[in-house]
Amino acid sequence: MGFFESSFFWFIEGLFACLAIIALRTWTQDKGIPMPFWKWPVVIVWVLFLAVSIAYIGTSIGEGEMDAAFFGTIFAAVIASISGVVAWRLLRMR
Amino acid sequence: MKTEEDRPRRELRVARRTLIKAAGATSAALGLSGLGLCGYQAGRDPDSYTGCEGLQGAAQSFNRKKFAVDEPPYEKVGPTRRADGRTEVIFSRVGVARSAAQMGKRIEDLDEPFRSYYEQHPEDFELDKQNSELRRKVAEDSPENRNRYILAEAWADAMGAVSPRPIGNEPPEISDFPGRRSRSPFKMKSSAATAKLIKKVSYEFGTVLIGITKLNHDWVYKYPSSRRGFAMNEPIEVPKHWEYAIVVGTPMSWDPMYANPNYGTSNDAYSKSRIVAFRLASFIKRLGYAARPHTPGNSYDLMVPPIMVDAGLGEQGRHSIVITPELGCNFRPAVVTTNLPMSTDKPIAFGVQDFCKNCKICAEQCPSGAISKADKKIVRGYKRYQLHSSKCFNFWNSNHGSLGCRVCIAACPYTRKSNWVHRTALQVTANDPTGISDKLLAGMQKRFYPGPEPSDFYAATLGGKNASYREPPWWLRTEDFIEL
Repeated sequence: MGFFESSFFWFIEGLFACLAIIALRTWTQDKGIPMPFWKWPVVIVWVLFLAVSIAYIGTSIGEGEMDAAFFGTIFAAVIASISGVVAWRLLRMR
Repeated sequence: MKTEEDRPRRELRVARRTLIKAAGATSAALGLSGLGLCGYQAGRDPDSYTGCEGLQGAAQSFNRKKFAVDEPPYEKVGPTRRADGRTEVIFSRVGVARSAAQMGKRIEDLDEPFRSYYEQHPEDFELDKQNSELRRKVAEDSPENRNRYILAEAWADAMGAVSPRPIGNEPPEISDFPGRRSRSPFKMKSSAATAKLIKKVSYEFGTVLIGITKLNHDWVYKYPSSRRGFAMNEPIEVPKHWEYAIVVGTPMSWDPMYANPNYGTSNDAYSKSRIVAFRLASFIKRLGYAARPHTPGNSYDLMVPPIMVDAGLGEQGRHSIVITPELGCNFRPAVVTTNLPMSTDKPIAFGVQDFCKNCKICAEQCPSGAISKADKKIVRGYKRYQLHSSKCFNFWNSNHGSLGCRVCIAACPYTRKSNWVHRTALQVTANDPTGISDKLLAGMQKRFYPGPEPSDFYAATLGGKNASYREPPWWLRTEDFIEL
């Protein structure tokens, strides 16, 4: 079993996710952005979309399906950009 | 008012917060990159080579119970008739048409039953006469083009080199039974336990898929396609001991299959399924029961796809091949008929009929036009899609490499690697009753996973470009290993 199928990989991913959440909280405090409960799902959904998109692109490259990787990148970039702007505006609301 | 002592503490606090933010940003970047690499690994991992994960049955992992139905997902619409193995199986009739072409015979000059068949299907006569000529034209291609497939042909020959001894020409009442007729069958404790045992040993014998059903006599040829103990011109009376049918299936090697029609072969799965079926028949006979293997290439007394459907292994697709949830249509099956009492499996309906109605990718990619884009038609009393076998077989003779095509298998959206992307897509289509995901995923399939132009699959001397569905694997690139 390779590193990327191991439980250790997911442990490291979990560690990174925890650190990223702590950093986001710290950053919003420094910026004076309030983070009520409804903002967290917005952030999580957007990050999950980004994560799945990156994993899809990686999988397509691994399969040798370059067309799928290319169109997947364009599709994900467009959706992530539009939804990212919306999410950012929601996040900045006071 | 701040004192001198406060200043370093405040600086330290700022530094700590900056460190947390920097660590978080780095973690996010590393985490997301890791997911990308994880996806990359999932895409290329040998464990995702559908159907080759092991011999413990782990590859038959789809939850069939959820999709089990009482009646098979095909429609009986009138009086049924059994297929004539002498004429309705392309391999049985094509030699007659080929000889007729050489001797200048017309349909009315042929013997029965071929005359009647070709009178009803004159287009097939014209098509079946052509394949020697097509093969000759392929052979006229340049040495550079022909030699590119030396390794693929060697691979195909090697995969077909091992085969069990054929069952001979004794009638089923003799050949299907154990050698020592005096041995009475062992009494099995329960049909459920026997089915479990048969499935377990079949996995150990090397199968990837297995299902058990009662044999529907409609699937037995009316007249045989090869002798195997039957007289060619006498109707087959279905032996009483053909009560059950056990269907096994093994996959064709992934990378060559994906580089069809030139680099793939059916021989690998043919060989594996044959060996499993013969081992299974031997096992059953040793328990004192009757068993007869029906195996590829053409050692069948029956039609296998509908038996696979009855046994709950999958549904028949537009290309006429059975689509299974685990392997898509990348497999070759074999059947063992037996009187060993076993509990049977239920057929499944996991959305293939709706998906195929809309998708049509196989029909669009088919180089010979053998797969219809039209709706189902009535064939021998059943409503189903039907492959035009004469057109299909002519293309087998119109390209390089091992005999065959299999482009529809490679192009079918159900034939995909066993990784999270395609497993998720399968679950979405199987569980979506609205049909929206069928259209969405078929559209994405066409855009994201395009194939060559169908005419490009032909040999250069027949107007094509010797195209394959995907690039061949490194180990079948003749030009990288052999001085040409």
